[in-house]
Amino acid sequence: MIMPRGEPLLLPVNPVFIVASLAAGLAINLLPLGRVVWMPDVLMVLLVFWGVHQPLRIGMGVAFLLGLCMDVSQSALLGQHALAYTVLSFGAIAIHRRLLWFSVPSQALQVLPLFALAHATELLLRMVSGGIFPGLWSFLAPLIEALLWPLASWVLLAPQRRPPDSDQNRPL
Amino acid sequence: MPLGTLERSAPPFFKQGPSALSRLAVYSALALFLMVADARFKLTGPVRQAVGTVLYPVQWLMLQPVEFASHGAGYFQSLKAAQDDLDTARKKMTEMGQRANQAEQLALENGRLRQLLALRDRLETPAQAAEVIYDTADPYTRRVVVDRGQMGGVVLGAPVMDEAGVLGQVTRVFPLVSEVTLLVDRDQAIPVLNVRTGARGVAYGDPVAGHDGGMELRFMPANADVREDDLLTTSGVDGLYPSGLPVARVVRVERRADSAFARVYCKPLAQVQGARHVVVLQPLPENASLPRPEPAHPVPVKRGGRKG
Repeated sequence: MIMPRGEPLLLPVNPVFIVASLAAGLAINLLPLGRVVWMPDVLMVLLVFWGVHQPLRIGMGVAFLLGLCMDVSQSALLGQHALAYTVLSFGAIAIHRRLLWFSVPSQALQVLPLFALAHATELLLRMVSGGIFPGLWSFLAPLIEALLWPLASWVLLAPQRRPPDSDQNRPL
Repeated sequence: MPLGTLERSAPPFFKQGPSALSRLAVYSALALFLMVADARFKLTGPVRQAVGTVLYPVQWLMLQPVEFASHGAGYFQSLKAAQDDLDTARKKMTEMGQRANQAEQLALENGRLRQLLALRDRLETPAQAAEVIYDTADPYTRRVVVDRGQMGGVVLGAPVMDEAGVLGQVTRVFPLVSEVTLLVDRDQAIPVLNVRTGARGVAYGDPVAGHDGGMELRFMPANADVREDDLLTTSGVDGLYPSGLPVARVVRVERRADSAFARVYCKPLAQVQGARHVVVLQPLPENASLPRPEPAHPVPVKRGGRKG
């Protein structure tokens, strides 16, 4: 089996866990905190994460549907988030073979352009359709999302890092 | 099989589905189509309604911690601040009480005078109270969500005001909540009347003026009689806003030599940032059939019927 040196073999992923994590991400995005332009989009991090780790399960269709939900809940232009998430998911699938050979911090550095691209897509669409420029703080959002990447890799891979057979020393 | 996992099932050999690039093309085209349908043709109302209704429980659930936190913050504020608030509220109520008594008398007098002059009665506008739940997260527009929707009898286009003046207009109605576009939004316009001079105009939202947005009275000639501190109220010519609601106050007038128009900056009287309790009015066509002008060319009456 070809895999990076020194990495443990992971358990197979539970599809229920993927769905639950995406639902939790959507719920966090729906927190009505008002107009905070630098707020990181948790769903974007999750979509890239699962797009990289499980490209056969989470692809552009899921991204598109979740984007529609975000559009309606933010009362944005319908299709704006859908397009941004689709582009993001495509980018994740495009780099999924290469990205996992790197260490987690350099993975974060490599997904930063993806997040920036998704946010730029949204900004461009809304500027063309006559929206208000949200201010320079909005450029902070992709940066925070990239910083969330190590946290996401740690939390979301934790169920797969469990030992295959639990014993007294490793109860989980 | 994903890299480095113990997954036992192999990916399908022949049934791979369309390529990633073609899927990207299809979904992008669909998204662009939705955007055009939404922005230009307003076709996507049912989709929004359906998705919004499905998402409503989640939104309601996520609203609870936020409300709890804000209420908790209010709980821990000092007793003195609360007493101060109560004092100002009492003072304001006394003031308002006096004015309300006067207003009743004036309304009576006004009614008699209007009868004397054989004018039309003033329109009574039914209203209902609502509460702003949150600002929409979309940073490209200026909208808020209020807690009354179709079930509460809110209709599309209804004017919304707080205690100081007009706040905005209902632009989207969901079953349980509705969205109000604020006056400072770029796409929002409101017909106004300068109380001092009686000149009518149209004020547009100007979201980048100041730190929380302002308004601009457009298409006023360079020599128009507009001064700082002029009060603008709704003029009622649009048949939607009742006339006489306070809207904004002029803060700055710029007259330029190179332009035929003056630039008039105004500040909305309503609390655009952080309004909490609002009143949703019924738009006018609902409660009164406005007198429409006669058609310019009346249909010619058929002749010949009166012979004989």
